[in-house]
Formats: sequence, structure tokens, C-alpha cells
Amino acid sequence: MFLIVSFQVFAQQVTVDGVVTSADDGETLPGVTVMEKGTSNGTITNIDGYYQITVEADAVLQFSFVGSKMKEIPVAGQSRIDVTLETDVIGLEEIVVIGYGTAKKKDITGSVSVVDNSTIEDLKPVKVEQALQGTMAGVNVTSQSGSPGAGLNIRIRGISTNGDASPTVIIDGYAGDLGTLNPADIESITVLKDAQAAIYGTAGANGVILVTTKTGKKNTSPVVNVNSSYGIQETTRMLPVLNATEYAVLLNESYAANGQELPYPDVSLLGKGTDWQDELFETAPMNNTDISLSGGSENTTYTISASNLNQDGIIGGDKTGYDRSTARISIGTDVYEWLKLNTSLTYTHIDRKSVNDYALGSVLFNAMNMPPTLPVYDETGNYTLAPVNGLGIEIINPLAQVANTYNDYNLNKFNGNVGLETNFAEHFSATARIGFNTSNSDFRDFLKEIDYGGKVFDHSFSSVNQNRINDNEYTFDAFVTYDNTFFDFHHTTVTLGTTVYKTWGDGLFGYGTDVPYNSWDYASIGATLGGIEEQTAGSYVYDQRRLSYFGRIQYDYQAKYLLSAMLRRDASTKFGPNNTVAYFPSVTAGWVISEENFLTSLDFIDRLKIRASYGILGSDKIPPYQYISQLNGEATYVLDGSLVNGQAIGTLPNPNIKWEESEQIDVGFDLKMLGNRLDINADYFRKTTKDLLIPSIPVSGILGTHAPGAASPTINAGTVLNQGVELAIGYRGSINDLVYHINYNVTYLQNEVLKVNNGTGFYPGGVFGVGQPMPSRMEEGYPMGYFYGYETDGIFQTQAEVDAHPSQIDLGAEAQPGDIRYKDLNGDGKINEDDRTNIGDPIPDYVMGLNLSFKYKGFDFVAYAYANIGNDMVRNYERTQTDVNRLDYMLDRWTGTGTTNEVPRITTAATSNNVFSDFFVEDGSFLRIQNVQLGYTIPENMTQKVSIQKARVFAGVNNLFTFTNYMGYDPAASTGVPIGSGIDNGFYPTPRIYTFGLNLTF
Amino acid sequence: MRKFKSIKLFITGAALLSVLIYACTDEFVETSPEYSIDSENYFNSENDYYYALIGAYDILQSTYVNAILGEIASDNTLCGGENATDVIGWQQVDDMIHNPVNSNLHDIWNWMFAGVQRTNYFMEFKDKMDFEGKEQMIGEIRFLRAYYYFELVKWFGPVPLKVDERFELGDETTIPRSPVEDVYAQIEADLMYADSVLDYTAPALGRVTKGAAQALLGKAYLYQEKFDEAALILETLILDGPYSLETDYNKIFEMEGENGSGSVFEVQYTDVEGASFDCLQCSEGNVAVGFSGVRGYEGPLFSPGFSFNVPTQEVVDEFEADDPRLGVAILDIEAWADSTGAEYNTGYEHTGYFNRKYLPRKRSANAQGDLNLTNPNNYRAIRYADVLLMAAEAYNRGNIDDGIAQGYLNQVRQRAFGDLNHDILLTGSALTDAIYHERRVELVGEGHRFFDLVRTGRAADEIDGFEAGKNEVFPIPLEEIQFSNGNWQNNPNY
Repeated sequence: MFLIVSFQVFAQQVTVDGVVTSADDGETLPGVTVMEKGTSNGTITNIDGYYQITVEADAVLQFSFVGSKMKEIPVAGQSRIDVTLETDVIGLEEIVVIGYGTAKKKDITGSVSVVDNSTIEDLKPVKVEQALQGTMAGVNVTSQSGSPGAGLNIRIRGISTNGDASPTVIIDGYAGDLGTLNPADIESITVLKDAQAAIYGTAGANGVILVTTKTGKKNTSPVVNVNSSYGIQETTRMLPVLNATEYAVLLNESYAANGQELPYPDVSLLGKGTDWQDELFETAPMNNTDISLSGGSENTTYTISASNLNQDGIIGGDKTGYDRSTARISIGTDVYEWLKLNTSLTYTHIDRKSVNDYALGSVLFNAMNMPPTLPVYDETGNYTLAPVNGLGIEIINPLAQVANTYNDYNLNKFNGNVGLETNFAEHFSATARIGFNTSNSDFRDFLKEIDYGGKVFDHSFSSVNQNRINDNEYTFDAFVTYDNTFFDFHHTTVTLGTTVYKTWGDGLFGYGTDVPYNSWDYASIGATLGGIEEQTAGSYVYDQRRLSYFGRIQYDYQAKYLLSAMLRRDASTKFGPNNTVAYFPSVTAGWVISEENFLTSLDFIDRLKIRASYGILGSDKIPPYQYISQLNGEATYVLDGSLVNGQAIGTLPNPNIKWEESEQIDVGFDLKMLGNRLDINADYFRKTTKDLLIPSIPVSGILGTHAPGAASPTINAGTVLNQGVELAIGYRGSINDLVYHINYNVTYLQNEVLKVNNGTGFYPGGVFGVGQPMPSRMEEGYPMGYFYGYETDGIFQTQAEVDAHPSQIDLGAEAQPGDIRYKDLNGDGKINEDDRTNIGDPIPDYVMGLNLSFKYKGFDFVAYAYANIGNDMVRNYERTQTDVNRLDYMLDRWTGTGTTNEVPRITTAATSNNVFSDFFVEDGSFLRIQNVQLGYTIPENMTQKVSIQKARVFAGVNNLFTFTNYMGYDPAASTGVPIGSGIDNGFYPTPRIYTFGLNLTF
Repeated sequence: MRKFKSIKLFITGAALLSVLIYACTDEFVETSPEYSIDSENYFNSENDYYYALIGAYDILQSTYVNAILGEIASDNTLCGGENATDVIGWQQVDDMIHNPVNSNLHDIWNWMFAGVQRTNYFMEFKDKMDFEGKEQMIGEIRFLRAYYYFELVKWFGPVPLKVDERFELGDETTIPRSPVEDVYAQIEADLMYADSVLDYTAPALGRVTKGAAQALLGKAYLYQEKFDEAALILETLILDGPYSLETDYNKIFEMEGENGSGSVFEVQYTDVEGASFDCLQCSEGNVAVGFSGVRGYEGPLFSPGFSFNVPTQEVVDEFEADDPRLGVAILDIEAWADSTGAEYNTGYEHTGYFNRKYLPRKRSANAQGDLNLTNPNNYRAIRYADVLLMAAEAYNRGNIDDGIAQGYLNQVRQRAFGDLNHDILLTGSALTDAIYHERRVELVGEGHRFFDLVRTGRAADEIDGFEAGKNEVFPIPLEEIQFSNGNWQNNPNY
């Protein structure tokens, strides 16, 4: 009787201790997590691999460590348990960050891709986004320009909207921005691609990028890392334009075709002339250094780091450049056994100068169009002026343009976080954390008083523009997690929490005229001498917030059947009063088939998990205050003979405005074979995003939307579908001392706009040429931003062919032999704007990446390549003035019957050859060798003599070569706007960089 | 352990409390933009009301379409232009083959309702504040609302009526097209109020006067054939008002004659602001004037235009042989070119005549481009001569007093001919015909002819292609019928 009672009332507790060693080399392992299974009671091995823990007598101890296979050992009355852990090459036990918590990689049921530390170090990206180029399926990264400091666009699983399709970036749990991060501070990047991101609700529809920054490790002695590299940048490509002699010959022909006098009667002495691109491009250096100190004691970890990146531009000498300095400190400590505190603070300073690098009138646009017969300098030693006659009012000497560009941009940013995590009761933990970003930028732009001889860039007086912008945001999370295993098999985790987000800021702009001495040195509004009426100022202010609640249940049965369900409630200042609250439910499930009895016998399959997910996610990246009616209409009358201004309503509000909503389905599998050496992941995904915002919806005239300055409202009226297949294959192996790793990933994507509910069924955008209709469309049944223009059908060879074809006069001029023939697509006997059709689209059909790495003794070699297949680009950098220079494809122009069926004749008369047609659309598919690097680690026994743990030297090339048929500078460049992307106005190419560097660890 | 436990509880409790306080209610996400004026929180000062009043006046400038299309629809002018498809909507109205798909008729619908909406915006908040001069402004607003609704009922017949509140999204499916009598009743009420609070002199040139209200009221009565009421109000205007006929007829339509002694209501224009075809209703200039100009003109006094709205030989013949108004109203381009050496091109439907009253004159150095769209010629919406003729018509057709009718008619003729030898002493229906003739020659080119013919039942006889029982009003635009989702039917036979 007493015995029974005592058994039930008193639980026996024992203290167990021991040492953990590695099976590979017998070394003791500090930092190994020792947990009492099913509880939150745990400890960590110390610097000697020793642990001590008090547990229930019948407990099971779990030993886990990154890179090792987890071991479970029942206590069974023992008081000393020594453990050896085997290396787990694949990292099945690897912990991955998912929203508001972590999970073991092997248990994840959504579509999640990870870029880890080693990949980031291999790639050595200048900007963080470059680490996502070609390294994971489903993610496509394009650059806006190759100029130093230019931004990059990330798109996850296609273009999901005609608005802002960028994914949400969360850094250590708080909303942040990738553009200012120092890549050396990043531990890993996790991308949530499907309904796994649903716990982020209205921030999740475009995918979520979770960045984890580096922290120290417990029980490690201080480690100092120094990385330094020096790079030489050069352009990857110069466009093949005509030299002076070829140019003169062609120009003579074009004038003669129109019956005008030849401009160059004697071409024999012209020679090669000026190679404007060669004059502009130069090699430029780049320096990148970072240093960090990290370590940890029993209770505390710390990391302190600093970096500096300095990159000059390959165009513009000291007029372009990018300098980024960062300093960071991160500390984590166990205040009590049950209370952890972590905090970090980063300071970033950016200084950037730039020239016009991708808009119309850009420096490269001028370089391509300037005649090679003009010298850079004229007889007086000044920059040659480009004449207006024949070149129009926009083209100017690009070197003069660069020399007269003066601007400066500075950014100071602080971001950081503070978080508390407590295990306040058995199985329960609670986290509260707040992260913030605050930045101040100032910008100064000086427009010199200059005369280019009748061009739009002429300024009859000097002026200076200055602005100060302050941006802030904070994210506050608080959530509680309950984790328990019932009856040994049913493991459940429940998470409940709330997130509060606010972003606010303001901008102030000023303008003044008449800068003293017409010089950049005095370019400040306060110093200007212009009249007070000329000084103008402007300002804006913003304040947007989001309040969210979320809950998630994760369940698994013996880690074999996995299920998780999430629900999130969001309220945002962007939503109209009739749609204030959004709910986002989702569910993901997985089945580890390889654990089933009928498959465990198959030896070659190590692990096979199939998974599926379904969820509703949202995006609130919509313009604010669409539900408020503002008095920004036009109200002007004439009283007493003069104009008087009043107030009137502008755009009609839409109180129903709401978020964009996407329904995402994903089915996939993860397969490991051949002793965990072969890794295959595949997904089929289908994302339907509806409620896209379409502006200017037609409404009845009684609402007054046709008053001056008024407009009809923007409503949620569009739908787009992105579906496709992702495949990632990885193989790691070794042959004697050679260890290699191959990764290939490919994504097939199909994008189709399903609905544009604005009465016409399409919405146009983009710019081509001058005065031409918009070339891109968002239209039902076609990809987003597809190109809408004429289809060509060869060249007219004879007058008879011209006569046999419907008249093309509506396109600008009657056709003559040598002109492009356009197809009469609707068969109505006329060639006019009704004969336009789909002539291409900028969205690639396939995106793939190949990553190779080899290690042999002290040498290591990596090669990363990525490709886009099936994207089209529009050639829009050829100006249609008579005297511009041309690309060398013009040497194959039509000069008589039968000479060519591809390139039209050249003439100064008006023709229809310049309307937007497939003649200007090129296949932009490319394969780019992004990074090749060879490194050598000096043997440890040598370096240890000078207390250096590791010294590695390396050399490599970034952006080594691009295989493509595209004629322009860079087929990977894109402005990122959904309707109007893929149009090349002369993109500044991404440079090729030769780097040499050194990594030291001590 | 105990100490830890209590600290643990304390910290957990504090954390939870901070979460509860901080993780606020949904009020956290209810913000409004800082520093911006929200239309629903406006009207906080007298200035605010004045600015909204200006907004309502602005729409008057878009009535250039009403004026030019009112002429083209009638037997006074042909459409003209560059070719048969130049402004196809106008071409069809000219030939009386217009249908519900007509972008220019749609413009009139859109712009006049924009005007109604802006006046109703003011009226919606009229009680929010009190200040001296508020009644004056309300009087002007109600005149403008009556003006816009008068245009709507003239052009489209029954139209949806809403007063003192703006139309809201969805009203097009619920508010019916009010019968013409109801619309006129509202117009009368608005104008009677305006008459009661306004003075004969306005605070600024261009603003509504008592005379304008009385004149428009008389016109509204006349259109409804309420002859007694028309006669009464117009008589009051004639006796009490400060208006008189300008003796130099040519001066009326020149720059010096703007807002002259015979100007009862005038839509103001200027040419110091640029305009573009992207927003014709935004132009501060008189778009109709540029459209009426002589194509490719080079010569004295005038500047070129698009050769629309070209007078017919028939209207030239309507003038009496010695009527000096012919030379002012209509330009015989061939004769002019012969005498001055001016050069010009011919457009579509060239008749040799142009609407001289509203022809583009030589421009000043300040004129902003596009010059065709920014002519500064004011539109003389209601002239004293028109008032006299309307009064005459009311007294005559209402069988009230033919003698008084003759008196008013002859005032106009005396000014025109400059003597007493052209007075008319007819009575009864003969006098009616004389009045009709006088209206035609006095007011040619000013946009009234079509509606004069329709309201007096003469349209089918005078206008080629006019179909009685159909063309008295114009069709509601097709898109509006579609927006109404079955709530509105189109006008008969359209």
C-alpha cells in the first residue's frame, strides 16, 4: 500500500553527466544540446564536451548538434552517459527558421529553400540579393542596373501582381530591407515559397525571405575572422556599333535614298573615328573588407563585426561609386536558465554617386547613338557638341554628360532588435521581441548652367535640388509556444501570437537657382543667389500600420505523418473601411513514406517525404488612402479677367479597397537516396492572385469623374495565375581526397492574366520610342506585361510586292521596296492598329541554376551559373534620328532585290519601319557564369605556428561570361515594373570582376 | 528556486501585461493622411466655400460643346471639319443619324453632370457653417445647378435628379430618370431663390447676377410654354435691370465688347493657360472658337482653325437684304480674301461662310499653346437682345399683349438697322413668324437655333433628316444605359 502510494506521488530524479565526442575524430564537442525528451529541460556541453543534467529516472536524453545525427539514449538508471555523435552530412537535424519559430528541416511540410553560410561565402555577393541568383528553385533575381549600389528585384514564383510584386523580407524576426545588409553578417537565408508563408498573412503573398544574422556560439573561445578582397571591374560587353567609315557610307546611302545631298562625299580618310563606348568604359577597382569577433561562454554569446565595401563605377570615373560601411554587435545571454535575452544593433553608412544609367537619355544611350565621326574634344579642347540637325534635341556627348553630372547620396541607418524568450512553465515558452529600422538620407543634385547647343539638357541657369528623407519602421512580436508529445507518438506544437508593425517617415525637398561660380563646390540651396520666388520646396509624410494575430498548430505522428494548420488575422491602414479585417487560413501536410514498412526495405531510398500545402495569403503593398476622397481636382475659372483657383474633388475614393489575395497550392516531394548523397526536391505550384488593383475603372458620368482633375476610382479587379514546376537536384560525393558537390535547380513557370475587370479587358503600360502607343499590356489570356505590336513578314523586295499588299499608310508612310512588310492579321485589307498582337513577353519560361564545388586537399573550387530561358527583351536604345550611329546588324540592310529579308533599307525619309513590331523584340535567353573561384587553404600545421587557425587565399571571377543571342548590354537587367519591363533603354551592364582575396581565422 | 519562481512569474506577468497594453485594438490601424484636405472634412471657413464655388463655375467652360453642337444640329450650319470622319460624333448629329454610341454627346452628359455634382457638393455642406455672404454664394450655386440641369433637360429630356447631395456609386441603378416637368420644377425653384438673394451687380465680373437668374428663369418658362410666368419675369428684368443694347453691333463679339452693356450672362475664358487634347474640359480657353476657325487662314484680323460649324447659304438668305448684322455674324471668306488678300484652305462641306461671331481673332503674345484650344473669346450665353425677343415671344404667343411684343421686337431691330424704318407692326401668328425670323438672324451662331425649332414644333420641317418623335432629344449614352443595369431606358426610338 505504502509502496504504491510512494511510486505514484514521488517521481524519482537522477543526475546524469558525461562527455560528448565526435565519431569522426574523437574530439570533444562543446555546444551540444542535451535535452530531456518531451520537456524543455536541457543543457549544453561545455568547452570540454562535458554536460550535467537532472532528469526523471525514466527520461530519455536527446543529444543534438548541428551537422551531427541526433542520438536518443534512455537514462534507465545510469548516472554517467558518454556519447559519440556521428556526422550527419546532409544536416537532417538542421534547424530552419520558419515564421515565428523554428523547425527541423526534415519535418517541414511547406516549400522552403535555404541558402546557408557556405553558399554565401562561396558566392561573395556584393549585395545580398545576388546570393539568391540561381541558388534556389522558384526564385528569379534581376538587377536594375550594373552601376555600383543599384538595386535588385527578387520575384518568387512568378510575377504575382501588376503592382509591387516584391517579397517581404524579415531579418531576425523584424521587417527590414536587403539592400543595405552586409552579406558577411548573414548566417542563412530561408525562403518561404508557398502557403508556409501564410502565417505572415497579408505580408506573405509574394513569398517571404527570412534572414538570420550571425551570432556567437556558446562555449567557444573567441574567434576572429578577417576577409579582405580586391577586385578589378570591367564591362562585359561593348555593343558592336559602326566605325566612322562604315557609318559615313551608310549615312550617304540613307540621304541618297531620300534624294538629299551626301553628307560625307569623301569617306576614305575617316578611318575608325571615335569609339564612344571605349571612351566611356574603363576598369574600376573594388575593395571589400570585413572583420568579426565572436565567441561565447556558458551563458552568453557575442558577435562584433565591421565591414567596408568600396566600389567605383566602370563608367564615369569618380562620378559613380558606392561606399558601404557597417558596424554590428549582437549579444545573446541566458539571464536565467529559463530566460534568454538577445539583442543586436547595426549601423550602416552608404555614400553613392551615379549617372543616368537606365532611363531614356542615359549615358550609354548617348554613347551608342553619337556619330563616330565626331571627336570627343573639338579644336578648342572642349567637349564636342552634338548637332541638333540630324541628331535631335536629346542626344549629347556622353563624356560631357558624365563630366557635368554632379550628385551625392548619403544614407545613415540604424537597425536592431531586442528579444526575450522564456520557458515559463514546462512545455511552454514565450517570446517577445521588437525590431526597428531608422534611416536618414540626404541627396544633392546639381544641374550646371550649360549649353549643349539646343538640347533638352540645356540649362540657362544653374540649380540645385536637395532632399532629406527620414524612414522608420518597427515590428513588435509576442507569441507563446506550447510543445509536447502525447503518448510518445503524438508530437504537437501550438503557437499563438500577435505582431504589430508600423512604418512612418517624411521627406523634405528644396530647390534653388543660380549656384555661385556655377560650381558643385557651392551647390547648396542656402548659397544660391537666385530670386526668392525661384526657390521652391515640397514635402510628404506617411504613416502606415498593421496589426495581426496568428495561430498555428503543428502535429506529427512519430515524425512520419505531419500536419500543420495556420490562421492569421490582419488589419491594415491600407484597407478601406468596408474591408478592414483580413483572414488568411492555410494548411500544410507531409508524409514520410520512407518510414513506412512497405518502403523501409528499399535500401536505395534513405528518405522520401511527400508534402502538400494550400493557403490563402495576401499582399497589402497597395497605395495608401485609396478610400479617402481628396480635394486634388482642378478648379480654375476666370473672374475679373484673371484666373482664380478653387477646390474640387479629385479621384473618387473606393471604400471597398482591399488587399490582393492569392490562393496557393503546392504539391511536392523531398527524396534522399544513395546514403543521403543524392537529394531531389520537386514541387508543382499553382498561385492564383486576385483582387489586383486596376485604376480608372469606368463608372457612370453622373458621379462627376469627368470633371477637370477628377478620375474614376481604383478597384480590386484583376487576377493573375502563376503555375509551374520546380526541381532541385543535389549530389555530394567523394573520390578519395576529392570531395564534390553538385546542385542543379530549374523552374518552369507559366504566367497568365486571368481577369482585368475594367470594361476593356486590358491595361497598357511601358514606353517605346517617342509618341508611340504603349507597347506592353496586362490583358486577359496573356502573360503579365506582354508586348503588343505588329508582326513582320519579311521585307518588300519589289514594287510589285508592295502593290500586292494592303497599304501601310496608317503606320506612317507608304511602303517602298526595302521596307518591312507587316501582316494583316485581321484580314480587313488595311494595316492599322487593329493588326497588333502578342509578339513576346519578358517573363522567362525556365529559370535554372547550376552550382559546382570541389575540394581537394587544401584546394577548393566553386563555379556557379544561372540561366533564364524564354524571356524576350525590347530593343529601345536606337534613336530614330537621321544621323545617329547604328548597330552593325545594319551592315546587312536591304540594298536591292534579294539582298536580305531581315533588315530594312536605310533612308532619311519617313518610313513605317520604326513602329513597334517584332523587329524590335529579341530573345533575351541567357546562361551566365556568375562566379568561378579557386582557393587554397594553407595547411593548418603551418599557420598554427603564428596562431592563425585558418588562412585561405583565393582568386576568382564574378560574372565571367554570359552566353546569349541578345544584342544589348545585359539580358538580365530589368526595371522590375510588371507592365513595361524587359524594355532596354541602354541598361548599364553588370561588370565582370576579377577578385583576389584572403580569409583569415584566428 | 522559490525566488526564481516568483521572479519568473513576475516577469511573465509583466510581459503579458505589456503585450495586452501594447497590442492594441484595431484603432491602431485607423489613420488618416496628415496634412491633406479630405473632402468630407472640408468647409471649415468662408474661403473653403468660395473655393468650392469656383470649382462649380469651372465646369461652365466645358459648355463650348453645347454651343457649337447646338448650331451644328440645326439648319444654321453644317458640321464641316477636315473630312467626313473628322469628329464623327458631330458629323452624325449634323446629319441627324446619331445614335447612343456618340462620344461627343457622352461628353455633354458627363460634363454637365460633373457640374451638377460640384454644385451639390457645396449644397451638401451648406449648413455646416454660417457667415455673411453665404446666401449670395448659395444663390450663385443654385443658378449654376439650374444652368447645368437646363442643359441636361434640353439635350436629353428626363434625367436623374438629385439635389443638395452628391450622386453616389450605385445611384445610377436606383435613381430613375425624372420626368421633364420635375426637372424644370427644380430649375424654377433654384432660379427663384437665386433671384431673391442676388443683386444686379456681382462681386466680381463673371459671377452670377440677379439679371442672369431672371433671364434664365424666363427662358425656362418659355421652353415650357408658360407664357404668363415668362412674360412677368422678363418684364421685371427689362424694367429693373441695368442692361441696354450695345449700339455698335460689331463690338459685341470683339474683345472690347466682353461683359458689355448687353451681357446678361457670359461664360468667361482666357488664353494665359495652356491646354491639350487630353483634357478638353480642362481648357481655360474657348475650344469651340478654334474649331470654328478658317482652315489654314493667313491674313488680317483672324487666326486659323479647323473649319467646323460652317453656316449654310440658307441662313445667309434668311437675312434681309440690308441687314447689317449679316456682315458681323457671318464671314464670306471669298469676298474677304478678295478684299484683303487673305489666304485660306477649304475643308469638308465648305460653304464659303464661317461663324464670324466666334471666329478666332489674332492672338496676343501671352497666348499659351495649343493655340487652337485656348482662344479667349467669352461665350455670350444670355444677351439682352435674347431677353427682349423672349419677352416679345411670351407676350405674343401667350396672347397677352401684341403691342408690348412689337415694342420689344422693334428695339432689337432698331439697334440692328440703326433706324426706325424696319419696325414691325404685325400681330398674331404673323408677328410670331416675325419674332422667329428675328431670333434666327439675331442669334445665329450662338447655339440656340436647334432648341428654338424643337420647342416650337418646327424642327421636322426645317432640319433635314429630323425624325419627329425621336430627334427632339438626344440619346442617353449607351454606356450609361449599361451602367444603370436596367434602371434607365433610352429615349424613344433610339
